[in-house]
Amino acid sequence: MTSPQFRIRPRRIRTVFAIAGVQLRLLFRQRLSVFWVIVAPLLFVFVLGLQFGGGQPPRLAVVNEGNGLVAQRLVDALDADDRLTVIELVGADQLRTDVQRGRADAGLVIPAELDAVVSSGGQATVEYLARPSNPTAADLGVWVRAVISQQATLVRAAQVATGENAGTFRQNLDRTGTVEVPGVTVVADTVGTTPFPDGINPYALMAPSMLLLYVFLTSLTAALRVIETRRRGITRRMYATPTTAGTIVAGEALGRFGIALTQGLIVMAGSALLFGVDWGSPPAAAALLVLFCLVASGVAMLVGAVLRNEGPALGICLGLGLGLGAAGGAMVPLELLGGPARTVASFTPHAWAYQGFTELVRHGGGITDIAPQLGVLAGFAVVLFTLGTRWLRRGIVR
Amino acid sequence: MAEVVLRCEGLRKAYGTVVAIDDLGIEITEGETYGLLGPNGAGKTTAISMIVGILARDAGSVTIDGQPHDVHRTATKRLIGYVPQELALYPDLTGRENLHFFGRLHGLSGRELRRRGDEVLDVVGLSDRAGQRVRTYSGGMSRRLHIGVGLLNRPRLLVLDEPTVGVDPQSRNAILDNVRQLAGQGMAVLYTTHYMEEAERLCDRVGIIDSGRLRAEGTRRDLVTMLDREDEVELLADGDLAAAAQALAELAEVSAVDVREAGLRLLVAEAGPNLPQILATTGRAGVTVRSVQVREPNLESVFLHLTGKALRD
Repeated sequence: MTSPQFRIRPRRIRTVFAIAGVQLRLLFRQRLSVFWVIVAPLLFVFVLGLQFGGGQPPRLAVVNEGNGLVAQRLVDALDADDRLTVIELVGADQLRTDVQRGRADAGLVIPAELDAVVSSGGQATVEYLARPSNPTAADLGVWVRAVISQQATLVRAAQVATGENAGTFRQNLDRTGTVEVPGVTVVADTVGTTPFPDGINPYALMAPSMLLLYVFLTSLTAALRVIETRRRGITRRMYATPTTAGTIVAGEALGRFGIALTQGLIVMAGSALLFGVDWGSPPAAAALLVLFCLVASGVAMLVGAVLRNEGPALGICLGLGLGLGAAGGAMVPLELLGGPARTVASFTPHAWAYQGFTELVRHGGGITDIAPQLGVLAGFAVVLFTLGTRWLRRGIVR
Repeated sequence: MAEVVLRCEGLRKAYGTVVAIDDLGIEITEGETYGLLGPNGAGKTTAISMIVGILARDAGSVTIDGQPHDVHRTATKRLIGYVPQELALYPDLTGRENLHFFGRLHGLSGRELRRRGDEVLDVVGLSDRAGQRVRTYSGGMSRRLHIGVGLLNRPRLLVLDEPTVGVDPQSRNAILDNVRQLAGQGMAVLYTTHYMEEAERLCDRVGIIDSGRLRAEGTRRDLVTMLDREDEVELLADGDLAAAAQALAELAEVSAVDVREAGLRLLVAEAGPNLPQILATTGRAGVTVRSVQVREPNLESVFLHLTGKALRD
């Protein structure tokens, strides 16, 4: 017996949509699913956006151990900078704790001997603390260095005047406050493109990551439905109706793709409406989303076709979803990963999609700018979708 | 003469060296209920899977209403209603949504789909629960809906694979009544079971299957006759039992009579039609019969006779 070729007929198309429609209906049938698909990703975009500076200036914790004139002028100068908020603390231990727990984006410890050292013409060191995983701290570091350099110029001027016997260091330092001294302008030149451009909406930093993470997670957990449908004998029952195996596979595939796309559109539209995230060029963003959804649904089909029981499958799906997400920059920004981790990331579809969305969201790129990413994702999609559909069909036609 | 709806000949299916079905042939006419009786693992589900067209056969042929049928023939699949053994329903959809989904797969749509869905809900007695999720149904209700799905396309052949497994006695009776009514409407019914009572009660003809082979088939009477075993009649009686025994022994249909402490025990070729004559004879001998018990050989005995093992082994 030979398998007849799959021909497109209106009745078949209706059947494909009937099978796919049931998958989407089942996705939203459980209240918990509504939470995980709609609320959770947007909640994470909000929380992580806040952590990366959403709407508030970065917080700099400062411990002024000596409380001398130079130290106080430095604190006042930092406080006067609109780009950051200074939180004064009393001890270095408290500062470390606050930075570690994210209550401050970075910390500055001004040593007790600062005034004594600089008034005698020496150089003192202030300690700047930040978590390496916090990109806001990198920006904050630049601004803090700029203010310190400005203050150091004034201190140096006072030191020179004191050395020329033109008064005490304190008198000279006070005098520098009344004289117009040009501040030091720190110009930060970035080779290539800056990972976190100035003025970017902080929610836009995390929205693509959450999109990638949740599209994959939702697709993979929805793969459990494929297993359930098979285990319950529903697939065999479908095949006993005048429905070809190809139509059933097409319906299941469209259902998986529909679920992935729905999840992606919820994150895109939700983050745009609620947090003002600009996803960049619409055709480029749509192409990227569609290709990534095809990859995710291909994996879901494959997992659903290969595994037999929902219990072990759930563990595997969560492991795959979170593991690939973590490796591919959907949990920790790809820019913060080291060399080997970046190499590993390049084997995940997440990393390519992340790079594509980064180009669109942060740098205003277009479809040609993300052509390599689109190409790689298309490759992933073809391979995984083909494997998934073939395996599923093999389970139906015995 | 009733038309043949299902005809399968020489069906064979092997998994490696294990032959699951070997040379199976069945014919079912319209309005007939055919029971495929066999223990678990006998090959009933494999046979049914090939007949409905969800499992490719290695050899043999199947025709539905005279048309050749196999896994790729959607035209003949339209004529079949299939009720698998497992509850093949979406528990998170309502009863009506499940019916509409499978109805769409049968090519129904729009008003026709809604009307047919309502008709089926009515037939299986679930109209008042149609809007509730199947997850909330009792086992019996789920089974009834499960059967309803098999009726959506008004099939010529209804195939039910052990539809009463795990069902309470009340729902079981309702299901058997439903099946009998459907056969009465002209549908050909293929019914597998390992419950001998169901096969005896429901089926016009029974095929006994074991280890993938059809061992015998026929009406219940045909099969029992194969045993060459007589019916046993036990009379609880008072009076001159010896005289009655002597008179009964002279009847051609009675092959043996034993006088017991409280009555008589007879072996009769076919008890049913001969019972009036037996009772008249005992009455003439001055014996008062207080109760009559007839024990006929049943399908369990036939199965034991044919396979050397009990039906529930």
